[in-house]
Amino acid sequence: MWTGVKTWIEARLPLGAIIRWVLEEDIPGGARFAYVFGSASLLMFLLLAVTGVLQLFYYVPTTDHAYDSLMYLRLQVPFGWLLHGMHYWSAQAFLVLVGLHLARVFIWGAYKNPRQMTWLVGVALLVLVAAMSFTGPLLAWDQLGYWSAEVGTSIAGTVPWIGAFLQRFFRGGETMGQETMSRFFVFHVALLPALLLAGILLHLIAFRQAGSVGPWNPLRREGMGKFWPDQVYRDILVSSFIVVVLVGLCVFPRAPITGVADPVGLAITPKPVWNFLFLYQALKVFKGPWETAGTVGLPIVLILILLLLPLYDRNARVNPRKRPIAMIGGLLLVLGVVTLTILGYYANPSAYGAKATADPDVNAPAASAPRDPPPRPAGDANRAAAPADNAAANKAAAGRALFRSQHCDACHKIDGQGGAVGPDLSNEADAGRSAAWLAAQIRDAKTHNPQSIMPAYTALSPEQVTELTDYLLTLRSEATKPAAQEPPSGQREPAREAARLIGDWREGRTLLAAYCSSCHGPEGTDKIPNPGSERGAVPALNPIAANLRDRDPAVFAARIDRFIQDGSVPSGPHPALRMPAYGNKKSLTQPQIAAVEAYILRLNGVDRAQILHPGMAPPQFFLLTVIAFAVVWVVVLILSHASKRTSASTRK
Amino acid sequence: MDNAAVPYGPRTPPSRRGFLRLAMGILSACIGLILGIPFVAALVAPTYRRSAAPFARVGAVGPLPQESPVSREFQFEATDAFIREAVTHQVWIVKHSDTELTVFSPICTHLGCHYNWDPSVQQFICPCHNSRFTLTGKVISGPAPRPLDTLPHKIEQGVLFVKWERFRTGIPEKIRI
Repeated sequence: MWTGVKTWIEARLPLGAIIRWVLEEDIPGGARFAYVFGSASLLMFLLLAVTGVLQLFYYVPTTDHAYDSLMYLRLQVPFGWLLHGMHYWSAQAFLVLVGLHLARVFIWGAYKNPRQMTWLVGVALLVLVAAMSFTGPLLAWDQLGYWSAEVGTSIAGTVPWIGAFLQRFFRGGETMGQETMSRFFVFHVALLPALLLAGILLHLIAFRQAGSVGPWNPLRREGMGKFWPDQVYRDILVSSFIVVVLVGLCVFPRAPITGVADPVGLAITPKPVWNFLFLYQALKVFKGPWETAGTVGLPIVLILILLLLPLYDRNARVNPRKRPIAMIGGLLLVLGVVTLTILGYYANPSAYGAKATADPDVNAPAASAPRDPPPRPAGDANRAAAPADNAAANKAAAGRALFRSQHCDACHKIDGQGGAVGPDLSNEADAGRSAAWLAAQIRDAKTHNPQSIMPAYTALSPEQVTELTDYLLTLRSEATKPAAQEPPSGQREPAREAARLIGDWREGRTLLAAYCSSCHGPEGTDKIPNPGSERGAVPALNPIAANLRDRDPAVFAARIDRFIQDGSVPSGPHPALRMPAYGNKKSLTQPQIAAVEAYILRLNGVDRAQILHPGMAPPQFFLLTVIAFAVVWVVVLILSHASKRTSASTRK
Repeated sequence: MDNAAVPYGPRTPPSRRGFLRLAMGILSACIGLILGIPFVAALVAPTYRRSAAPFARVGAVGPLPQESPVSREFQFEATDAFIREAVTHQVWIVKHSDTELTVFSPICTHLGCHYNWDPSVQQFICPCHNSRFTLTGKVISGPAPRPLDTLPHKIEQGVLFVKWERFRTGIPEKIRI
């Protein structure tokens, strides 16, 4: 029956011949573990294709739901964490393995005649892989993906003559948005994978055409090994190790959670993903008119160096010891890329950003990223003039001048202008602090919080301090109703957008330090005195009141969300401190509030990004994987010994 | 297939060849199962998930007419995968007293059409296949396989709360979806 079917198919489609052509490959000197990187890269492509398609069952490419849909997959679909994790970590491993494969081919001289076409197609594949790793992260619509795409499309914008067009084309408009996501989506899931697949087939055909290069040492080239089954066995064995490592990566470090994309990314440092860090770091060398040389020239030169390698290195020798120039050149390139990557990783981007903003002509990518805050309805002058009393207005104006001359704005932001070291003072009039409290804070901040890093301004005259406090007490970001009419303790419902967004606790830590620590203490542990309130102190966030805490992260977040959104007025006759309404007054964006909530949950031992329906607990799944593969490896090892013994005895 | 046709070189003796085949089979199967089972589970398992609706506020019981069906709409926040939004549902309510009433799902037990109350004949009539039900939900005539489905409800301080549920249609048993 089966033979009949086989013959029938074979007569119409020579599958057997195709398979034999693919597998029947002589390897000079025999199969080796050094040759596995190509197959391992292919395994990564297959894993990425499978997990990519499966993710499409849950993912939607829209800016309002992309992040939620991915978080639903990661936290609520059984084994969704594995599905997404395998895609994320395979993508990282793909880049590493492709790099190792390239290095192996380079050292073995496998790009030389007659294998030039294999190399050329290979370099094209490298560019496609880079394009995939550029378009992929944006689809998550998280901070990491958003900002790396923002920087990347800005780089495209610096191309001479056609830059503005390119930037528009990739963004689908002037700014990042839904059109950008749609475009990146089509590139990432349709065009690039199709090209990648076609390229891989061409790469394999070219490879089969020219054959394997084998070892450079003529003594070791004796005898022919076979691709099937000798090399394929090694490929699969190594693949099984890679799978175990990838599962371990999915379980222990997990793919990062960076919070939903927030165009007001003030707490975020726009940095590209790790594989582009070397370019990002190299760009810092090129300044002013030379910037284009870095943003466009450098990548093109790098690609050309690789692409044209078989054309300018025509020396037929393959032994690396006899190709000192090629080896040293290759080593320098690798060292350069590794050094720049490490420097880029540890680079202090705020210093770079500050420098770039100092010179508005330099359109450096990090600076061009929209750090400009959204326009506010009321300008500085308007709001200071708002109080009818002219004398008070004059005093406030003097205070504003002092605020500038004393460089308060180096640390404090008002209406989006100023540093992020200290709390944002845009809403200070509604923060509920008295002039006396503010004066004491200016004189010596340690009277309120012993851990405050704010310098004590003892040199100011009492009049100057009054001018400053008067100014601060005029700061109200929008025409908001008087704070006294606020609900007593954030009891508006339902919880807002932030409560269902999964925030990044690391960003939350930064925001908490900037916005919340002056009243709640740096880790939320302190109970800062709050005279005039019933409790007499600001409630601690860590540990938080038991009636707010819940083991369910969604419930916990929803409970604290109301306080952050609507603020709260402590009960008591005249509380000196009141919780500002960060959400209602828009002094924090919803993604930022989500980040703060994630950090407060973390301080209280609850993971905002807890996997709710894992299918199987990730550590257990890892254990199962290790045990399964350990058993398989031991069986294979025993069989291998047995077969070697029988072959040895038959040979005798 | 004889040995000459097998594409193995002289360096791979037959016993070794057999081992390699077996080893490759075991390794590939292990990779396939360890990843394949969870991946299939990720597609299949969520399809068995039951959506739990809360008890949603319908309205005050007092003004409802006695022993005469009324249609009422109510809303609640529902989560459909990753989309959370307010959904509206409709029910038929028959009040017996201020503390006792019956809440019918508006979906015919036959094939899922929405039925209506005909006051002239005092019957619930489904327009699709002419199934007819009494005030208590019993089948009078037509293809409906079981009485009208009732929904869980509670009355708190004179206010009716209903929990929205759906049931399989076309079978004699009332089974929740």
